[in-house]
Amino acid sequence: MRALAFAWRSLTRRRGRTMLGILGIAAAGALMFDMLLLSRGLLVSVREMLDSVGFDVRVLASEGLPQSRVPLEHALDAALALASLPEVAAAVPFRIGEAEAVMGGDRPPSIAVFAIGSTTNRIWAIVDGRDLPEGDEQSVVVNERLAERLQAAPGDDIEIRGRCSAGPSILPPITVRIAGVASFPFESGAQLTMATRFAVLDRLCERPPGEADLIMVASRPESGPDAAVDAIRKARPDLYAFSNDEVIERFETVGFSYFRQISAALAIVTVSFGVVLITVLLTVGVNQRLGEIAALRAIGFSRRRVAGDVLWESVLLVAIGGAVAIPLGLALSMWLDAILRSLPGVPATLHFFVFEPRALWLHAALLAAVAVGAALYPMWLVARLPIATTLRREFVS
Amino acid sequence: MAGVRGPIARSTCGGLLLVGLTVGLGHAWLPAAASDAQADLPAILLSRQLLAARNLEVGDTIELSGDPSGANRRRFRIAGAYEPMPDPIRVTSERLEVRLHLPDLLDLTADPDDPLAAEALSAINVKLKNPEEAGAFARELAARVPIVGVRASRGAEGDRNPFVVLGRFHLAIAVLTLTTSAVFLLALMVLLADERREAVGTLRLIGLTRGRVLLQVLLEGALIAGAGALFGVAFAALTEGAFNRYFQWRYDTALVFVQITPSIAWRSVAMALPLGMAASVLASWALVRGETLKLVRR
Repeated sequence: MRALAFAWRSLTRRRGRTMLGILGIAAAGALMFDMLLLSRGLLVSVREMLDSVGFDVRVLASEGLPQSRVPLEHALDAALALASLPEVAAAVPFRIGEAEAVMGGDRPPSIAVFAIGSTTNRIWAIVDGRDLPEGDEQSVVVNERLAERLQAAPGDDIEIRGRCSAGPSILPPITVRIAGVASFPFESGAQLTMATRFAVLDRLCERPPGEADLIMVASRPESGPDAAVDAIRKARPDLYAFSNDEVIERFETVGFSYFRQISAALAIVTVSFGVVLITVLLTVGVNQRLGEIAALRAIGFSRRRVAGDVLWESVLLVAIGGAVAIPLGLALSMWLDAILRSLPGVPATLHFFVFEPRALWLHAALLAAVAVGAALYPMWLVARLPIATTLRREFVS
Repeated sequence: MAGVRGPIARSTCGGLLLVGLTVGLGHAWLPAAASDAQADLPAILLSRQLLAARNLEVGDTIELSGDPSGANRRRFRIAGAYEPMPDPIRVTSERLEVRLHLPDLLDLTADPDDPLAAEALSAINVKLKNPEEAGAFARELAARVPIVGVRASRGAEGDRNPFVVLGRFHLAIAVLTLTTSAVFLLALMVLLADERREAVGTLRLIGLTRGRVLLQVLLEGALIAGAGALFGVAFAALTEGAFNRYFQWRYDTALVFVQITPSIAWRSVAMALPLGMAASVLASWALVRGETLKLVRR
């Protein structure tokens, strides 16, 4: 009988114990699989988000993190200069501000305001009404949540007041017209969002005209983002240009290390759990079958063969448990992802647990290591078993 | 001498009215030559991280500029170093910071064409005699001076506080780990029960009742789980320092990452005990309910 079939029979003889082993590996494996999804999930998700808006280079006035960025002065002129580079298809200045709707009685809701330069490239998708008209400096597009909150529709006028620095602006509120309702890729679940032209944001907070937070650049397909970054750095050495790859690399270094480390720590814990559990189950099983194993050796089974049986038992337990762990882990990851996505300010399209084939391969590799590692000690026990002494002790005495 | 980046983040800090000037990365800071007039220079404090990053020492003089081009720079004397307030939100940021006296910062950064610039502040921190009244105070002040934004510094509650959400995530991970541990414990107890089949049968034969055997199993489970939980708490307490030191080194911060409080220790023991007892009873159920002679294989 082949070693695999023999191992299967050994396991099915002790169904309760086998089920517990599989259950233990499934539980530990599901947690490990989730940690593998978490280990790169945010990076993959951020990458997808960055790529989805159609711009592959970001240009800033400093290399600081978003919360400590220097405003980019004369951004409209800078964007025009960058757009004229042969490697660049479009360069759009972008600024983020804050406003509040003027509403009687109720506490005014805070609105994230995106001001964008003149471009045909949009980071939002119109779902009702129309887009910002060219040259119109009074129109806005709002997200569905804001339209609902204001009970307003395309064509309606609304009053908004700027929120400059920590509080509301002392400037009087301004009236803007809702051109359309749009969905925005980076907005969080509860965020009220508005997009408009620079002039509207300038009027809200009286900032120097033409000042932006960043310029988003779309490279020409024939050049690619790296060539565009090089061209921008040569043309404007005072600016900081980053391709999406560089943004992700930076994010991986400074912004993502927490989740990477927690996933590494928990993956180690779960692998250790799996190794100890299977080692204990196999060792106890082997100790209870010492007489049987010695008898097999006596009728001609080689050391390698009996050790192989133990290894196959380990492989079967871990393989079945590991297979159950995948759907279990995917289900659990949805629950854990939903918890983390409720973090304030997290865009609705961002995920922390993201499946990629790499996670599956790593899961299989780690479980293979568990199966082999867990089998080492019981394999050593059966390989070194003295046949005559064991038979005498187990059967005669 | 190379210029420094302009002020890119400001905040008032405590009652000293010192204002932080976050310095742009990647720009050289060169200590100015010491001079006899060094003692007369305005004093500043540098964060420990900035002092180390630029190989500066207390007593050195440096030049600061509020202009990205390095124009209008002024010399300062480093009077000391400080440890920045640990801030979990900024744990991955390099804390390259300087604290200046407010008039010095205004001199450095105010727009000469704007007469109001020398009077403008980003924020004023207020310490209330009764911190519980922060919300009411903020509302009243906002109503009286509508042009300023007033908010209580206490963190947001519920889903608006990122640490509440992260705490929930950690709890979920803990529940999953506990479930895995429970399966592990059940497997061990099943093995233990299997090993003791004949011993339990003998105990039943010499007159011990099912209830008495069950009580013994229950107590054994409690002892094993209790010992395991105590070992876990002791292990966590022993490794707490190493864990904190690693992450404090990794992120160059004084932030405390792991803290084993008595409440956490008690909660661990309180969860482990019933779990261990339940696993014991479940694993030994067949022994307790089974026929005595079958247990002793007769």
